[in-house]
Amino acid sequence: MTSPIVDVTDLSHVYMQGTPLAHQALDRVSIQVERGECIAIIGHTGSGKSTLIQHLNGLMRPQSGKVIVNGLDVSDPKVDIRLLRRQVGLVFQNPEDQLFEKLVGDDIAYGPFKMGLPIAEVKERVEWAMELVGLSFDEMKDRPTFALSGGQKRKVALAGVLALRPHVLVLDEPTAGLDPRSRNELLQRIRRLNVEEGLTVIFVSHNMEEVARLAQRVYVMANGQIACEGTPRHIFGNSSLLQEHHIGTPEAVDILYQLREQGYAVDTGSFLPEEAAAEILNLIKR
Amino acid sequence: MMSAEFELSRNITIGQYLPTDSVVHRLDPRFKLAAFVVMILAIAICGTYVGNLFALAICIAMFWVSKIPLHYGLSGVKPAIPFIIILATLQLLFYGEIARGGTVYFQYGFVTISSESVRLVLVSAMRFVEVIFLSSVLTLSTSTTELTHGMERLLGPLQKVKFPVHAFALIITIAIRFVPTFAMEMEKMMKAQASRGADFGTGEWWRIIRRTKDMLPIIIPLFNVALARAEDLILAMEARCYMPGASRTQYTHYKANGKDYAALIISIIISVIMLYIPW
Repeated sequence: MTSPIVDVTDLSHVYMQGTPLAHQALDRVSIQVERGECIAIIGHTGSGKSTLIQHLNGLMRPQSGKVIVNGLDVSDPKVDIRLLRRQVGLVFQNPEDQLFEKLVGDDIAYGPFKMGLPIAEVKERVEWAMELVGLSFDEMKDRPTFALSGGQKRKVALAGVLALRPHVLVLDEPTAGLDPRSRNELLQRIRRLNVEEGLTVIFVSHNMEEVARLAQRVYVMANGQIACEGTPRHIFGNSSLLQEHHIGTPEAVDILYQLREQGYAVDTGSFLPEEAAAEILNLIKR
Repeated sequence: MMSAEFELSRNITIGQYLPTDSVVHRLDPRFKLAAFVVMILAIAICGTYVGNLFALAICIAMFWVSKIPLHYGLSGVKPAIPFIIILATLQLLFYGEIARGGTVYFQYGFVTISSESVRLVLVSAMRFVEVIFLSSVLTLSTSTTELTHGMERLLGPLQKVKFPVHAFALIITIAIRFVPTFAMEMEKMMKAQASRGADFGTGEWWRIIRRTKDMLPIIIPLFNVALARAEDLILAMEARCYMPGASRTQYTHYKANGKDYAALIISIIISVIMLYIPW
């Protein structure tokens, strides 16, 4: 039995502690993520998701509780923070805002250069990262960053983080604001990173379709606490849970719930469009 | 504290409003601003120890009257300490010739330290703190909208000499409004770049070029974001029919009452006392 790659125990965080504006963002949060898992964190704005993920690469240090990532203790002031940030690649919301170099290749190379790698290895990593996100190295590396489309910029930003070769990839609303095509493509890329490259993926999302498609396990956050945890099948199949925490459902699940309300016998635990379609076909055949 | 490494936006007190609903909060912003200007002028002129101690005491009392915890003022002073120290050193070294008089304690070459130059140094430091305290009270007790409305009205008469009072007030409003926004953007940018290996302020302080280069990954995106936001703002204003220079009506009307006049009179009295204290 191996220990989880991300192990958060009783993590609490209060913003502006000791002022009239103090706000408890995290309240005894515990999550465990195994190597190679794909985890979704869902919850309303202000439920503490962003605060939680910023603890994973040491942008924030635990006020109380423990965060251990791949054996590195984030609460230890002597921990090698740069090593930690290399192991946990954190991609913020709208990461395309962070591009600053003139050329695509240079921007992706920023992280590896900062690691002090020799130029040949930097080049190799940039090429690797670009191919992973679906940008052709030869074609795109010398394009100016400002001339890219929104979806391409986001891929460049993602490649910039991947070039660090992290073990854990943390994404904050990776597809927000993308058009459906870019969204689907990005999701497929993330899935491949998880399945083929064996990257542990943790992502925050408001899009339940996305959660249903990608995640093996889901953590639901509310008021700075973990409200519940389980597989998408468990979460989306439990209507009282959904109502209690005001969780939206994928459209496929919505249809099944509506059918059930109408008195049809359907399995509401099916949450992928294909499964829902199969359920409906079954109904028609009967 | 390590966890506060990137908490920029939470440390900025400019434009932060702390609603405690005190007497000071409820004052007419025009009068509050006028009283503030009077006090600042008095502080700028007053060059005596006791006068400045008195002013300092008044400033601290202002926090109590406006029900704002004093540490809000202190947190404004903290980042200014290096400047105060540099200023004091420069004044001590180079102002001896200008601030002549009093007993000379020390003289070597061009460096003259006398009781007058020491007074200048100490009084300047106190002035610094007083000004920070007063402006903290002003901004913490007045929302930015009130502040700019007040300023616009006070400057109103200048319109007669073709001074663009409204445009000026608008510029100030926008500038103050976007301080916290850009602080947040900058915080986000620092975190994003740190996540891919950037480090800030770890280079030796004399390697200015390297440290400046370290900031480029933050500054360039920040400019991009600022320009994008400016464009959005223009669109939003034009969508609501804003016309530069067009005549505008106001929906807020201020009516001063006894308290407001009293506040202004009190501030004048305090200023006069400050200036008349002879030591």
